[in-house]
Amino acid sequence: MKKKLWQFGTRQVVYSALGAALYAILSLITNWIQLPSAGNVSFRPAVVIPMFFGVVFGPIVGFISGFLGNIISDLLAGYGLWFWWDIGNGLMGLIPGLIFLWMTNYKALKDILWAELFSFIGIVVGMGLAAFSEMWVSGADIKTVVFANFLPAAIPNAINGLILLPILMIAYAAIVQRSGK
Amino acid sequence: MLVTWHYRSRKSFMERFDPRARWIFSLAFLFSVTMFWDARFLVFFFAIAFAWYFSAKTKWKETRKGWYLISFILFMMIVVNTLITGGGAGGVVPEGGHLVWPAGQFLFGRHFTFGLTWERLWFAICQVMRISGISAIFLIIPYTMDPRQYGVTFRGLGLPDNFAYSMELAFRYVPTLARDFTTTFDAQRARGYEIERVKGNFMQQIVRVAPLIVPVTMNSILSGEDITNAMDLRCFGQRPRTWLYKLTYHWQDYALIGFGVAMLVMGIVCRYVFHIGGFWVPTWFIH
Repeated sequence: MKKKLWQFGTRQVVYSALGAALYAILSLITNWIQLPSAGNVSFRPAVVIPMFFGVVFGPIVGFISGFLGNIISDLLAGYGLWFWWDIGNGLMGLIPGLIFLWMTNYKALKDILWAELFSFIGIVVGMGLAAFSEMWVSGADIKTVVFANFLPAAIPNAINGLILLPILMIAYAAIVQRSGK
Repeated sequence: MLVTWHYRSRKSFMERFDPRARWIFSLAFLFSVTMFWDARFLVFFFAIAFAWYFSAKTKWKETRKGWYLISFILFMMIVVNTLITGGGAGGVVPEGGHLVWPAGQFLFGRHFTFGLTWERLWFAICQVMRISGISAIFLIIPYTMDPRQYGVTFRGLGLPDNFAYSMELAFRYVPTLARDFTTTFDAQRARGYEIERVKGNFMQQIVRVAPLIVPVTMNSILSGEDITNAMDLRCFGQRPRTWLYKLTYHWQDYALIGFGVAMLVMGIVCRYVFHIGGFWVPTWFIH
């Protein structure tokens, strides 16, 4: 079946929902692990989920996994709703999804490197948008936004995402090979 | 693993409104309040936000976790950035101003000079009103909105069927995936895996979470294929779908939407036609 970048059929509906629920559950589980020297930032390896779902199922699935997953995670944790951060999480899945059509072999070094590069761009753009929206909402200046919002969110996400993404891609390649789907 | 939603029916005033009307009102509030830095207007928005918040009849112990997070953000943004380091004013407060301690202060036998101005202090008060008002409006949503209605609500707000259904499905998957996670976690523990003792440096800690994330993700992807096939066999997406829960607007919903829209329009008129509502400091505060 020919892959289309912006397709949103039954398969994409199901995987968007799965990605969002997975992101929410895995975020909730690791919420208790705090990063040393960054009091309010939790260790969130689950950020890899929207990136991975974007790379494997396309940009719309990646966006919904991040956007909706972050909403559900915050709803479950009782943190309320942070709309601009939800959009930022969505972008972390959408941008890696833009290389969805180029992916031919998920365990090939070239494909992994492309996925890593686009995931990194996604993190910078997504967390950048979320952090800089605080200038509009809270009236914070650029220095505050960069040091209090952007860097504490983007750096752990980049480390988590870039380490775990190749592991998931290689595991998925094995599943594709075995199931033939 | 037990996953619980924070929603329960409280028979509150807020719950009388249609969820779509509440979303429209909340977004209208957000866009309205972010146009203003004038405390006289912000007091109005602050009062509206907390009147709305208290109409939900939630208890402090239910929402305190969210308020702790908001307090931390406010502390970082206002005390540390706006007041201590002198940042955080976002170009709203004009340069210069009246120093709070023009002669400086003696602390521990040394003379310190602080750049804190009365204008920046007033800006911090405005920030507290604005951020806590927005937070009150959005924090209350998960406590007052039935998770079963998110899909139909967003469909009613104009989102495509597929996106709304994806939302509905995600809420339904949460307990299933939580159960799958527990099974995987128990299986890994039976093999000697201990998440409580994740040791090593930051990189090693991340890699050690992989035995939990990889099996849960791959299992859900495999089960997703079966669900996709089942939905395709039932002709999903061929025609507009129907929803289990039906939402109907009543007069109070139109009133709430009307109030939200009026607030937004008045905000635009005040800011961009009459040019009022920008940052303002009362003279009594400076002198």
